[in-house]
Amino acid sequence: MNILIPHNWLQDYVKTDAKPADIAKALSLHAFSVEKIIETAGGEPVYEIEITPNRGDALSVLGIARELRALLPRLGFKASWQERKNKIGRVVDKLKLDVQIEEKSLVPRFSALILEDVQIKDSPDFIKRRLEAVGQRALNNIIDITNYLMFDWGQPMHAFDYDKIKGAKMILRQSKKGEKITTLDGVERKLPEGVIVIEDGDGHLIDLCGIMGAKNSEVDENTKRVLLFVQVYDPVLIRKSSMALGHRTEAALRFEKGIDFEGVIPALWEAADLMKRYANAREASKLIDILNVKYAAKEVLVDYEKINLVAGVEISKKEVNEILRGLGFEFSGQKVKVPSWRYDDVDLSEDLAEEVIRFYGYYKLPDKLLTGNLPKKTNQGLFFLELVVKLFLKHQGFFECYTNSATNQALAGSGALKIANPLTEEFKYFRTSLLPQLSEVIEKNLGYSDQIKVFELASVYLAKKNELPAQPLKLGLVVRGMKFLEFKGVIEALQKEIRIKNLLNFNIREQKDGLLAVELDFEELARVVERAIAYQPLCNFNSIKEDLTFIIPPGEITYPQIEKIILETDKRILRLDFKGIYKNFLTLAIEYLDTAKQISSGQTQEIRKEIFNQLEKQLGVKLKL
Amino acid sequence: MDLGELKNLISEFKSDAKRLSSVADFEELRLKYAGKKGKIAQLFDVFAKLKAEEKKEFGKKINELKNEIELELVDLQEKFLNKKVESPLDKFLKTLPGQKIEAGHLHIITQAIRDITEIFKPLGFVRTRYPEIDFEWFAFEALNIPSTHPARDEWETFFVDAPPDKKYGRLVITPHTSNGQIHEMLKNELPIRMLGISRCGRRQEDISHLQTFFQFEGLAVDKGISISHLKGTLDYFAKNFFGPGREIRLRPYDFRFTEPSFEVDINCALCLGKGCKLCKGGWVELGGAGMVHPNVLKYGGIDPATYTGFAFGWGVERTYMMKSGTKIDDIRHMFGNDLRFLEQF
Repeated sequence: MNILIPHNWLQDYVKTDAKPADIAKALSLHAFSVEKIIETAGGEPVYEIEITPNRGDALSVLGIARELRALLPRLGFKASWQERKNKIGRVVDKLKLDVQIEEKSLVPRFSALILEDVQIKDSPDFIKRRLEAVGQRALNNIIDITNYLMFDWGQPMHAFDYDKIKGAKMILRQSKKGEKITTLDGVERKLPEGVIVIEDGDGHLIDLCGIMGAKNSEVDENTKRVLLFVQVYDPVLIRKSSMALGHRTEAALRFEKGIDFEGVIPALWEAADLMKRYANAREASKLIDILNVKYAAKEVLVDYEKINLVAGVEISKKEVNEILRGLGFEFSGQKVKVPSWRYDDVDLSEDLAEEVIRFYGYYKLPDKLLTGNLPKKTNQGLFFLELVVKLFLKHQGFFECYTNSATNQALAGSGALKIANPLTEEFKYFRTSLLPQLSEVIEKNLGYSDQIKVFELASVYLAKKNELPAQPLKLGLVVRGMKFLEFKGVIEALQKEIRIKNLLNFNIREQKDGLLAVELDFEELARVVERAIAYQPLCNFNSIKEDLTFIIPPGEITYPQIEKIILETDKRILRLDFKGIYKNFLTLAIEYLDTAKQISSGQTQEIRKEIFNQLEKQLGVKLKL
Repeated sequence: MDLGELKNLISEFKSDAKRLSSVADFEELRLKYAGKKGKIAQLFDVFAKLKAEEKKEFGKKINELKNEIELELVDLQEKFLNKKVESPLDKFLKTLPGQKIEAGHLHIITQAIRDITEIFKPLGFVRTRYPEIDFEWFAFEALNIPSTHPARDEWETFFVDAPPDKKYGRLVITPHTSNGQIHEMLKNELPIRMLGISRCGRRQEDISHLQTFFQFEGLAVDKGISISHLKGTLDYFAKNFFGPGREIRLRPYDFRFTEPSFEVDINCALCLGKGCKLCKGGWVELGGAGMVHPNVLKYGGIDPATYTGFAFGWGVERTYMMKSGTKIDDIRHMFGNDLRFLEQF
């Protein structure tokens, strides 16, 4: 999340000679990325800073100032800390608030204070100017002060008009589905179940906790008594509610990242102090402070050895200690106490290592390449084969495509896995075949050329009961403008290219618009690849070659049947090639070789006779005379 | 000399030519007919003395005869000297473009993956691929991402509409390749130097995001691995992938599965880090990296007291687009499969 931090607001805490550009660079390299420096209309620099989700403590001027206090002196800049006094006010047991909390975990800390004699007017200029610099519209002194503290200390707070809380009673609970509340922005919101809300003595919802106050209890120009309200809510519940309502407020964004548990009461007194000064307010109640969780300080071991190991260089103990102290960690023996504002974020020695090394400076660490042992197994065969296949197809004029893993229901095929929370209909079902999407690619590119050939090598997704879906790699090929046998030839040659001896069967689908498509199981292809090729001794005898033309009789008959019969006739038949077909006249080229002695024409004649004999007997195929 | 004699001359030449048996014979024949004082030259002498009205027909015939004999001589010369003599047309023909071989194209993602793999190979990184649809446990839990983390929300990550597994949770479309870290660690073979490249899916699509995309994930686990090794490895990658003069820097960041975590920047291709209009500040973001979180090592069955490791996981398409010179302005071209786009690579 990005925040805006005005340079001169920072000076309330750290007086420094570092220029804005120095501060931006220091923060970027050691803490948080400063995306840019903006200037306000008055020419004041404002940092736009990206705060990582683990650092809710830094979503405030104070949080950034704390980093700078520790960081700037290390970089040679002056940085003097302006300590802010804790402004504990008077407690008066006059006005009451009846608080009922339905479930303790909803609100780990609940604090409030009632103020009276309030004069609603405009805020002083410095507050208005600063709020404007961080993009917050000024409204009136009371509301502005609550917002001001949120940006200043990172503690969101709310002010109710005390007199609008019926029965001076608050019931903090989770919403029931369908309850309605009109928030301060005037929008009526229908609530899902489980959102944290407050109900008053009349049963009205008066707050959408941690997100935005309700219209019916807002502070307006007639307000005389104010309930100042400062809480720590369950961060997960706030995020879920805020997301579900589509209402991401500055308050919610801070609550959901965690609040400094020990900062709650000082922030409340700071706000009360400002209200006394700028709204003439006076304390009118006791401090309400309900602790619903046990909060115990957290200690973490400082592992100097680990720090050096992780850094890859030696950082002296003295420097480690200095850095940690600067960031607010207090030493007790080998351990440090984690500051309250870092409570959710620092747990392990490794977390401390990060603190130390980022302040030491990642740019100061040397660049080293790995030494030591190498992995024992590589298993790179399949990846190598992929590249061989892709290059082969590329050289046959194919375009390699990458299509989405998921598609619409029609293209995905039956039994496809469904995405529970799709973004679009076109990305809703996991494909069970590559071919429909590849065919679609051709249809989309029809104007490109008369002949289009595409392929993709990727997974398909097959549901399995009670198991991870099978995600086998498939090779899909789709062509247009290519003859059937030409396409078939490519797939046969592809198999030979990767050293498959007994070609796998495949099924060419003839689709509309003359598209031809094949899908091969790539993992199966990889399995039947010959690992080592057995060498055939070279033969010094000559072979005899001849062409024979046969008549294919009517009836069901296939080329492989003919091929099989011929090849099985005699082991001296070295090879058989298809030469051509005219009408039903099939011409074959046959090569004879005897590896033991020179074959004679008399011998080939005998073999030939047997071929004729077998073909006629088994298939009714005769020689064309 | 008249036209009849010209006819005799050609048949005389042909019968002479039949009798050739050596290179010397050929040379003699050539001189006899086409030499400076040979029969053709003599014909031109005769021609010069003719009257204008006779010249037209006679001249035409002589030229025909001359061409015929010269062509025959070329053939004979090729035969006897075994040397090809090229005519001007022959020479022109060779200047025509070569016969086109259908090129075909590897997709830019394949090319990027090949480049990346080749760069990491000499460092001993072994390529792996782990499931794109995996159980939540591998994609989140074991990566130290608790169920309350925003990455596990329905609006960030795709889930499969299927009953959850008792042990491993729901089926999820992995939003990163980091599930591969856990699978690799659980193989129980140390040391690890893995380059996992797989498809992932995220619930967003715009000019710089795709619902399907590729990541490459580097993981090294061994004794004594430090941030310095990560820096060295990424710097090596940057220089080899993007070019000499390119450098990387690490900035603090936060990821659940690494500690410390970094955002990796590379100096701008144009200004090399000085700062210019393109990059604003000299550096551009490349991706995330970090030291493997001790909890992740534990989930992978590795003792974090003995072993450390580093990891990084970056988008293949995005990283390739950042290579200087590609100028691809919209990542959606990558899965658009417009052949006019694909043919450019």
